Amino acid sequence: MTSIPGITCNDPGLEAAVTAWLTESRMPLPAGLLLQVEVVDRVTELEDPREVFLQGDVAIQAGEPLGWVHITWRVAPARARIEEHRPEATVQISRQALGELDYLLRSFLLVSLIFLWKRDGRYHVHAGTAIDSAGRGWMLIGNSCSGKSTTTALLASRGWQVSTDDIAFLEARGDRVSVLGFRSPIALRTGGFQLLGKAGGIPLESRGKTGFWPEELGSTWVQRVEPEIIVFTSVGGDRTAIAPASPAEVMRELLQWSLWVMFEPTAAQEHLDLLARLGRQARCYHARLAPDLFAAPHALEDFLP
Amino acid sequence: MSEPRFLRHSDIRLTSLEGEGVVLHLKERRYFSVNETGLVLLEALKQPRTFTELVAELLREYEVTEGTAATTTREFLDHCLATAVVETIE
Repeated sequence: MTSIPGITCNDPGLEAAVTAWLTESRMPLPAGLLLQVEVVDRVTELEDPREVFLQGDVAIQAGEPLGWVHITWRVAPARARIEEHRPEATVQISRQALGELDYLLRSFLLVSLIFLWKRDGRYHVHAGTAIDSAGRGWMLIGNSCSGKSTTTALLASRGWQVSTDDIAFLEARGDRVSVLGFRSPIALRTGGFQLLGKAGGIPLESRGKTGFWPEELGSTWVQRVEPEIIVFTSVGGDRTAIAPASPAEVMRELLQWSLWVMFEPTAAQEHLDLLARLGRQARCYHARLAPDLFAAPHALEDFLP
Repeated sequence: MSEPRFLRHSDIRLTSLEGEGVVLHLKERRYFSVNETGLVLLEALKQPRTFTELVAELLREYEVTEGTAATTTREFLDHCLATAVVETIE
């Protein structure tokens, strides 16, 4: 496999795995970003007095007084250092960590890349994105148990184009905000899988989920979506209900699910302005999603006020 | 003795959506909303401002009495000083 420009690695096996993962995601490193990965017997510890923020098994330290971003993995020794004013990440990964390669990539390395991509004007948000039959961009935002993936899979099965069920990046495009999707299988828990009622899928055993590529559900994958409708999702009750969100609620939700805006002074204003611009360009709603969504002929569209 | 001047803290980032101000406090990793008046004052506080200048800013933006503008400014400023959103500078 051809290596990806901007990535160096001293371990051919890991380099091939990272290259395959990023190639599949359709999010290669933009020109100018540099990711230097080194497999080591012993990861060098970096002294860092800053407060630790935990995101799953990933620990993040950022901001003053050191400036650079320090990311460590709590599963096995691995750490990344992302420079404050240079688009560079230096990563050390222990041989022990390579034993959990799949999880290493989608937790530790993904978070490291999220901070590296910020240096190219791409800002992560936990969101699913899709385009309906009328060509309107939709964005589903919420936590990992809020119905994003199940709804994204449903929309894919109804012929909507889909981009991602969770890993999205905001990017300025002229005076609009567009969202790039990190291509990966739509990952459904048992409940969502049963609601969808589709056979097949890829068993994602370590995550207790079943994955579907959009194409397996009758959809086509699209990388970029320009949201016109944003839905802040939650699940519960018997009937799906969608109601408008106030400007204050919109900003609160966008900040909550694009939390990295808080972590570095560098580009924080640009990131914050992008969130506000996104809130202005889209109609925004709260949605409580229920199983009746699956019986609605046009899915989410049928519930818009 | 000259009037003290106030300045938005360097850890503050500010934006707005339909008149609703959103303030990020990077050092404390928290965010909060401010109303339109608060937004006007915080925008002005990007540069050092005295209390009198801030009151004048509100009088330029809104049709209110000087007394109302002064009360609003004092209350907002006190809150911002207590929460490290604004600092007094020499």
